[in-house]
Order: sequence, then C-alpha cells, then structure tokens
Amino acid sequence: MTTETSTTLSDKPAKSAPEAALVALVGRPNAGKSSLYNRVTGGDGRVGNFPGITVDILETNVELGASHKKARLVDLPGLYSFDAAHDEATDEGVAKAFLLREEATGKPFAVLQVVDATQLALSLRLTKELLGSMSRVGLLLTQSDVLDREGRRCDPSVIAKATGVDVIMVSARDVASREAVLALAQCVLDAPARDKSRAPTFDPEALAQLAVTDKATVEDRERRRREFTRRVDRWLLHPALGPLLFVATMVVLFGAVFLIAEPASSVMDSATGWLGSVLSPRLGGGYFASFVTDGLIGGAGTVLGFLPQIVVLTIAMELLDASGYLARGVFLVDRLLRVFGLGGKALVPLLTAHACAVPAIRATRILRDPRERLVALLVLPLMTCSARLPTYSLLISTFLSHRGAFFQSAVFIALFAAGVISGAIASAVLRRTVVRGKPLPLVLEMPAYRAPEPSFMRKATMRGIRGFLTDVGTTIVIASSVLWLLLNVPMPGATTDPSLKDAPAAVVRVNQSVAASVGRAMEPVTRIAGFDWRINVGLIASFGARELMVGTLGVIHGLEDVENDPTSLREQLRGAKTADGKPRYSTATALSLMTFFIFACQCMSTVAALRRETRSWRWPLFVLAYTYAVAFAAAALVYNIA
Amino acid sequence: MISAVSHSLASALPRVEVRISALHGDSQEQQWLRAVGFFEGQSICVLRRAPFGGPLHVRVGSGGEFAVDMKVAAHIEIDPSPQTESA
Repeated sequence: MTTETSTTLSDKPAKSAPEAALVALVGRPNAGKSSLYNRVTGGDGRVGNFPGITVDILETNVELGASHKKARLVDLPGLYSFDAAHDEATDEGVAKAFLLREEATGKPFAVLQVVDATQLALSLRLTKELLGSMSRVGLLLTQSDVLDREGRRCDPSVIAKATGVDVIMVSARDVASREAVLALAQCVLDAPARDKSRAPTFDPEALAQLAVTDKATVEDRERRRREFTRRVDRWLLHPALGPLLFVATMVVLFGAVFLIAEPASSVMDSATGWLGSVLSPRLGGGYFASFVTDGLIGGAGTVLGFLPQIVVLTIAMELLDASGYLARGVFLVDRLLRVFGLGGKALVPLLTAHACAVPAIRATRILRDPRERLVALLVLPLMTCSARLPTYSLLISTFLSHRGAFFQSAVFIALFAAGVISGAIASAVLRRTVVRGKPLPLVLEMPAYRAPEPSFMRKATMRGIRGFLTDVGTTIVIASSVLWLLLNVPMPGATTDPSLKDAPAAVVRVNQSVAASVGRAMEPVTRIAGFDWRINVGLIASFGARELMVGTLGVIHGLEDVENDPTSLREQLRGAKTADGKPRYSTATALSLMTFFIFACQCMSTVAALRRETRSWRWPLFVLAYTYAVAFAAAALVYNIA
Repeated sequence: MISAVSHSLASALPRVEVRISALHGDSQEQQWLRAVGFFEGQSICVLRRAPFGGPLHVRVGSGGEFAVDMKVAAHIEIDPSPQTESA
C-alpha cells in the first residue's frame, strides 16, 4: 500500500453525509489507541450519537485522500478479545456489538486494529478473532519505538503476509502518523471485502516470534524508563506509605473541588445578580422580568457555577489516568472499597461527592464495570455534599445551640458519617436487588509511568465543558424555570393572608404561590415527619439547590437577605408559634429535617447529571423515588422518637 | 466449578517466576483471562501484594503488569516449582 495520498481533517463540523464510510479504531486497552486517535483528530473528537450505545464513543469526520472521500473515524472502547466479550453491558461488549452491527449494515466499514508491538502475540490473538468476523481489517503497529529501545525489531511485512491484511508502523508521537492512518483507512475501504468464512490459520505466538527479532543491545533510555517505574513503584506501592499517599492525593483533589465550589457559586451569584439588576428594569419589571432574571439567568448561573469544578476534576482525572497512577491507586485501596461493594476506582467519585455530586457523577466514567458504575451513580447523592451545610448549620445553631459546641460538632460529624454509612448500606442492597449480576473480576493493567500530553488534556477538558453545558446545563435551566413558576405564579383562587398585608412583595408572592398550595396540600402527610407547609415549600425550592432552603424559609417568614444575616431567621424559627400558642418548630423538627436532607436527592443538577450519564430518565427517577421514600420514612421515625 | 486450587497464584511467593499450568472458574472467565494474557504455559511473577488482603501486582511473561484480584488469582493454577528468582 502507499502512504502518499494526501489526507485532511474536515473543517466542517460534525454532521456527516449519509454515504460517509465508517472507520473504527479497535485494540486492547493501553495499546495506544486513544493516543493515536488524538494524533489523527488533533483531540477534536466529539461524543457520537449511536443508537443503543450507552458509553461515550468519540467520533470525528475526516476526509480520506485526494478524492476527499468522507469518513467518520470512531474510537471504540478497549477490547481484549472479540470472542470472549460476552457481557453486552461492559465496554468490551459495547465495542463488539458496535462492530457486529456496523458490519451487518453492509455500508462501507473498515476496522483498524491498533496493535501494541511490545505485546504482539496477545494483540494477534485479537486480530485472528477480528478476521473471523470482519470483512475489512487493517493493522496499525504502535509502540515500535519502545520495542526498539528494548533491543527488538518488528517486521510488519511478516505480519501482513501471514494475516493477509495491510499493516503499517505508526507512532502516536509522530505527526506524520495522521496521514498514514487515514491512507491505510482508504486502502482498506477500497480493497475488496475478505471472505470471512475462510478462517485465518496463523498461530499468534509463532507469528509474533517470527515477526519480532532481537537486536544486540537494549538502549540505556529504555532501561532507565523501566528502572524509573520500578523505583517509583517501590514508594507509591509501599504497603504503608502507598495507601497514605494515594488517599492524600485524593484529599487534595477533594479539597480543590470543595474550595473552588463556594467562590465559584458566589461569583456566579454576583454575576447573575448584576445581570438581573441591569435587565429587570429594561424588561419592565414584574413577572416576566423576574422569570427571565431569576428563572432563566439564575438557572444559567447555577450551570456556570459548576464549570470550575468540572474543569478541575477533568484535568485531575486525565492526569491520574494518563500518568498510570490511577491504576496504582486502585491496586492499593481496592480491598477497602469492597466494603461498599465497589472497586478501588470508586474512591475518586465517592470522595468528590462530598464536595459536590455533579462532578462526582462525571467521575464515575473511570469505573470499568458497568454494574459497579451504576451502583456508584445511584449512591453518590447520599454523600454529604457542601450544599447541605447551610441548612445543617442553620438547624443546628437554631435548635441545638443550648447543647454546647461539642455536641453540635458531634452532630455535624454524625451527619457526614450517616451519608457514608447509608451509601454503604444502599450499595450492598442495590447489588443484591436492582443491580444484580456478577461483578467483573479485577484484572487491571498497570502501565509504565508516562507524562500526559498537555494538548490532549486541554482538548479533553474542553470536551467535558461542552458536554456538561449542552446535556446537563439544558436540564438545569428547564428545571430552574419550572421551579420559578411554582414559587412565583399565584395559585388560582389563592387569597392573601391578612397578616401579610404589609409584607414585601416577594413574601406575599411565595405565600400565594402554587408551591405554597402544594405545600399546604401535602401538610397532612408531611406532618408525620414534623413538616408544616412552610418547610414543604422550602423543600420544593431547595430542589433547585439545597442551599436555597435557608433563603426560602427566610422569605416565607417575611425576611430578606437571610444568607447574610441568619440571626433573624434563627429567632423567627425559635419563636414561631402555632395557632394554639405552642412552638411551631422543635428540636425534633430540626433532627427530622436534617435526617430528611441526609437521604433525599434534593438537587436538580444531580438529577440532570444522572440523566446525562445513564442516558435515560429511568435511573434518575429511581434515585428520586428511593431516596425520598427512605428520607421521609427516616425523618418520620426520628421525629416521633425525638 | 472449582473455586480454588492447591497451587494457585494467590499462594505464590513474591518475586519468584512460576508458570501457569491451568485455569479454573467458569469457561467465560477462562476465555477472557487467556485473552488478557493469562494462559497455560505463560510465565508469571508476583511482584507485591496490596495491603489489607487486596489484589496482587503481577508481571506476565509477555511483559505486561497487572493488578489481579485474589478471587481471580485463586482460579489461576501454577506449577509450584520456580522458574527463576526475579529482580
């Protein structure tokens, strides 16, 4: 074959013509497939829309050769074996199903297998399997530079002769590889289809031995690279020091997400507040202006407030994964995480969820076992995120101040612990009920340490931001608008409470709102847990964001700006009386409400992120159903015992 | 199905290169393990064990290094006579 054909990446965005050929990159995990894909596409891949596929598959439109023939290049999940990929839920099963489906369409389709030349025999086993099922296959030999430094050489012509397919050597570090890969794709597409019924007869082990020959010397550089990994592993995988270092790294990551969450939200609040104050008079004030500024712009502000966390987390994930350290961390803490029914990798999302569930939900993408990932997604909302803290703080300082600082601190710690323990219990229950199935055995490749490529990390981060804004952001803005309507539009027939005659407009509006009517209608039931209609309205509002509970309770009680001055709200809550003169709220109410907050998935952003990651409404609705059922039952129990 | 074998990878001594003699467990797991690189005749060496009874860090003859769960290791039967001492 020739590699002289000119190839260019299409400048036009994404939507491909129906006649475009499809080229799939396949290969064993860590064969260098994604690096090569990034080299070919410049890291500009976008998540493809493939019916029935529930994992992200990147695709890019490319033009092959001087004829400018269009094609879509896709990067499939790693695949150890075609024949042994039995479970369709796993990444390997997804890759196999994808290949079989595209092969069956009869449309132009080529499979390019990325073959790690340093593990040639194992890769050729996969080649043999692919040749039994695919009619157009080409091989891309990678890692030949590593092989070279190890004192070995690989001859692609030997492999081409034995397998009967085109084989080229490429390196993801070499810019010219882009041309070579696309030229091979064109070559494979143009060649007549192979007869799949003729099973390949080569022996992978024998062919690998034939194709790879030893050189006289091993280069010092490779020796040093191996020695470096060995030496670093001695420290990073030390039985005592190793787990401490990994947990410390995770705590730093958690700290970064946690510390950035608060200022990011404040900046967004200020920005949206400023924008609202500028726009509101121009829109003539009133309901429409309020809808635009509080509903739409407020929702957009919530979305943008999450972005810094998403950026920090995406960069950290890329760094951990690409450097090879994540695999080491999994090795160290896997046993501990088995207590949760989860594997070592789950530590990253579980810890991140204590800052915010939204980036944590994204972080579950590193979990290879689809069932383990689903369980992690379903229990993450139970972790005590930073948004719960204002409500906990208000309730503890209002109703438990007489118990002293030590007791209050103990309650705070207990609330965090309750999140972790309930997560462990929920995980164990879910694995035995809703998400049954054999867990994948842990056999995880531990690659040599390597430096991640900054440009690919930058592109991956941009991809993460785009995906979050389009998928999660849209849902949040819609939910925010619906909540505004519930909290501001008056219920038909609602009358004004005479006691609110002189109250600010916002207070009157909430008291007459649809949410208030819903809260009152729910009161006979929620009374069991000690919640009156005011708390119910607070709960409805805090579905937008948990921290809104405090502000909404303030507005209902005729107060404004309680975030900056919570003292008046504390006094209002303590001093509030029912019609018969009894205290409206008690310590039991506070404990009940805090219990409710431990379990309930009170967060539209979490629901939106769950929908994005599970690609359906089924699991977010399941999370809402089970967390609210448990939350209400537990709150009722606590209220009646306390 | 055999859940554990007398000379399994789980009981292998660290830094001693041995050879895989058989795979146990269900046939799909065996097929997958072979595809990953754990097949009969392959040399294998336990480099270290994770704390708290966690997985094994192993190097296989093909050059790859893996973290292997103890349950999986119990399904990998080895020839107990050492091939070589590994560095």
